[in-house]
Amino acid sequence: MDHNIYIPKLAKIVQIKEEVGGARPIKTFRTNFLTNNDFVFRCGQCAMLSVFGKGEAMISISSPPFVKDYLQFSILKMGRVTSALHEMEVSDLIGIRGPYGNGFPVERWKGKNIIFIGGGIGLAPIWSVLQTALSKKEEYGDLTLIYGARTSKDLVFKEELKELKQKMPVYLSIDVKEPGWTEFVGFVPQNVLDKKPSPSNAIAITCGPPIMIKFVIKALKDLHFEDEQIYTTVENKMKCGIGKCGRCNIGYHYVCKDGPVYSWAELKKLPQEY
Amino acid sequence: MEKILTKKAFPQWIKKLESYKLYTPRKDEDIWNFEVTKDSENIELDYQNSVVSPKKIIFPQSEILLEFSSSGNNNLEIKEILPDNEAVVIFGLRPCDGRSLALIDKVFSGDFQDPYYWKRRNQTTLIGLSCLQPPSPNCFCLSVDGSPHSVEGLDILLTDLGDKFYVESLTEKGDKLLGKAKELFQEPKPEDKKAVKKIHLESEEKIKRRIKDIKSIPSKLKEMFDSPFWDEESLSCIRCGICTYLCPTCHCFDINDEVTSSSPLKGKRVRTWDTCQFPDFTMHSSGHNPRPDKASRLRQRMFHKFKYFVELYQNFQCIGCGRCISYCPVRIDIINVLDKVKDHGS
Amino acid sequence: MVNIDNLKEEVKKLIVDGKVKYIIGYEKGRNGLMSNPIFIRKPEDVEKLVWDHSCVYNLAKFLVDEKRRKAREKQPDTKPVGVIVKGCDSRAIVVLLQEKFITRNDVYIIGLSCEKTGVVDERKLTKKLKQKIPEKIEAGEKDTFIITAADGKIEIPAEEILATRCLECKANFPVIYDVLFGEKTNRNVENPYKTLENIESLPQEGKWKFWEEQLSRCIRCYACRSACPMCYCDECVVDTINFAVTADTTAEEKAAKIKWLEKSPLSSENFVYHLVRAIHLAGRCVDCGECERVCPVHIPLRLLNKKLEKEAKELFGYEVGMDPSLPSLISCFKDEDPQDFIR
Repeated sequence: MDHNIYIPKLAKIVQIKEEVGGARPIKTFRTNFLTNNDFVFRCGQCAMLSVFGKGEAMISISSPPFVKDYLQFSILKMGRVTSALHEMEVSDLIGIRGPYGNGFPVERWKGKNIIFIGGGIGLAPIWSVLQTALSKKEEYGDLTLIYGARTSKDLVFKEELKELKQKMPVYLSIDVKEPGWTEFVGFVPQNVLDKKPSPSNAIAITCGPPIMIKFVIKALKDLHFEDEQIYTTVENKMKCGIGKCGRCNIGYHYVCKDGPVYSWAELKKLPQEY
Repeated sequence: MEKILTKKAFPQWIKKLESYKLYTPRKDEDIWNFEVTKDSENIELDYQNSVVSPKKIIFPQSEILLEFSSSGNNNLEIKEILPDNEAVVIFGLRPCDGRSLALIDKVFSGDFQDPYYWKRRNQTTLIGLSCLQPPSPNCFCLSVDGSPHSVEGLDILLTDLGDKFYVESLTEKGDKLLGKAKELFQEPKPEDKKAVKKIHLESEEKIKRRIKDIKSIPSKLKEMFDSPFWDEESLSCIRCGICTYLCPTCHCFDINDEVTSSSPLKGKRVRTWDTCQFPDFTMHSSGHNPRPDKASRLRQRMFHKFKYFVELYQNFQCIGCGRCISYCPVRIDIINVLDKVKDHGS
Repeated sequence: MVNIDNLKEEVKKLIVDGKVKYIIGYEKGRNGLMSNPIFIRKPEDVEKLVWDHSCVYNLAKFLVDEKRRKAREKQPDTKPVGVIVKGCDSRAIVVLLQEKFITRNDVYIIGLSCEKTGVVDERKLTKKLKQKIPEKIEAGEKDTFIITAADGKIEIPAEEILATRCLECKANFPVIYDVLFGEKTNRNVENPYKTLENIESLPQEGKWKFWEEQLSRCIRCYACRSACPMCYCDECVVDTINFAVTADTTAEEKAAKIKWLEKSPLSSENFVYHLVRAIHLAGRCVDCGECERVCPVHIPLRLLNKKLEKEAKELFGYEVGMDPSLPSLISCFKDEDPQDFIR
């Protein structure tokens, strides 16, 4: 059964944290495998989470690979499987299979400045690579985070962001002015143009709603970032996670296997059908 | 190895294969399909081709991956359900359908070996029957690197010489089947070999539909991604699943949980065929659909089969059986579309 | 007789005068005998129109597509779509009008009368011709068809290769049209429900066994549903995702959607699919025969729908698709409706 790629391993939910409440809730789950915790993965990879009886959903792993105590997933309540996950409690069992996908090429970024740009739930996929870079700060250049959400309530990792501000520049934004908000007001791409990160020896990673990604890439191009310096993750409907069911393809790539991480240079070459 | 088997001795050989689960083409109403044969005496040889391809025996339309059950209090149990151990023989495949399995083999291997597919594939022996004439007026196997006597993907190929079969055994599995009745097989004479060559050549000439210059298609398609050509071609498509479900090389599938009891929880995770032509194939939970209209879905089908598959596996994902042409409710003709692609912009 | 030149002239005039967006008609088959649907926008394409016994498609189906297309456009063109219809097809348009799926202004109906004949059933023809491939079909002198194949002509009695529904069709001329070609001739049909005789005579168990066998071949390709003009629901009982999902649909709404059918083609699921579809078509099916024609595994679907058509007539005196001013059967009631099921 260990070799069967379709069989998930059972895992227990050990912690649930409500990041965002309201109509579009986000919860962060930490899980432990029941047996055999030798799950090895790279930043940016994802796993298929199973709620038996409901189905599976491909979620990116937001904990960094060097954390061995748990796997962390931040999940937005969207449909059947994610609603079932949101109903679950600590010590409930789910299935996990993976890791899938290509991950971020962090080795290639040693010595470079990295600008992390996220919107809403999009912070979760890049959290893992941000934590990895932060843990080995001396191997990388300057780290910067530009992150925003619709309202201050929709920001994820609120506690963690407070801590992060002590260690590296963190520029937050919300769409519309709120009483007590002292940081940038506007969309994330506008905040990027406001903070003007330098493209010199830099990599920019962006993740969030498709429309935000589109305008962030435009902003970065306006700031003279090259196509090879811009990285993003792509989302598509997935079922098998291993490039066989034929559903998530963009051109001849399967996003579950050859993605979800793409540089803008690579993504431009594929048919724009996603 | 190459042998001769007389038509008289043929039923005796089939009888010796009783220990295998034998699938042969059978007629039901006026449809041919591959079914389990209980009467090995009367295998019908005058069939053209099945409606549903024999791919369904190795890659079934619905297949259980695992079963899950919970007896309350958080003790979930998962049981892997692999296909049963059984020795299977499929008799009467057309060479194109044998080739289709060689193509699908590529999809289900690679970095992740699909255990369900390979269990069935490895325990199945394929006996092909070469085509004396094209089974369908829409056959075009020659244009997609196939032929009416191709051996790719098969374990044994039979060619009908009138009163006897010319038997080519191509693999160990094939040799094993021949070995079950060694005494029935004779050595071929030089005139037999001549006759087979003649028949094979004649069968190729009888194929009327050809696609000239198919090698130019992938690069032609590349230029046409954003063309309104696909809107025109897909106008009459009614978005059913016939072209994909009958296609021997299509492999897209869906995975769903089928619950038989909700408390205590009991059910199975099932893999079923799916089609890129259904509107919800690529639909995200948010409602966003990268392929919201028939044009983009027809384009995906053509690009996948004649460009993306070539980029991944250096083969067209089409074996030229013509089923999609014969059974399309509105007669969308893949050869016609490809001809138009070739002439596009010139 | 339908004069093809007059038809082409009329169609050309409609396009040149800009009265319609485009016209849906039949063109010569690119491959074999049977015609293909064609969408004519330019006057020079009008020449491609044909009208013969191979024009089997129910072109009313494409009106559903047109409505979907308009819904996606920001400023849709409000000109009507022209469509060439036979009697059965026109009744499908009547049902679409009764149900207010389209308005009368959305469609310009070019009616063609089948007169006393009908369309050919390709399966019956293939059986008759065995290996010969037909290229052309013409009406013969005495109620026959003359089929031209590669090696010569064959004459076959019309009865033997006409579609069964044509043999049972009482009024094979359009009931609604903007322009009509051909004579409104009635056929003398003794028993419009002759098809049902065999199965109705079976005992209950026999009927179950019959359908169990037939539906075991079903591969759930949904061609029957896709070919039917009445199956126009955005969200069908077989679909597991709500097609009408918008950005505002909540996760709870999506999670609460019931999965009525499993995707596997098990006997239980196949039964549910076909029987539910038949019930949903009760009083709406016009017997255009497309569902049975398109089925790749030859399931006799007409039997299910014809039975319910018979029930509609016998229980409620309702004839499907005759008068667009009448309400649809399931949306109205009369005091005299049978009530013996209320106990």
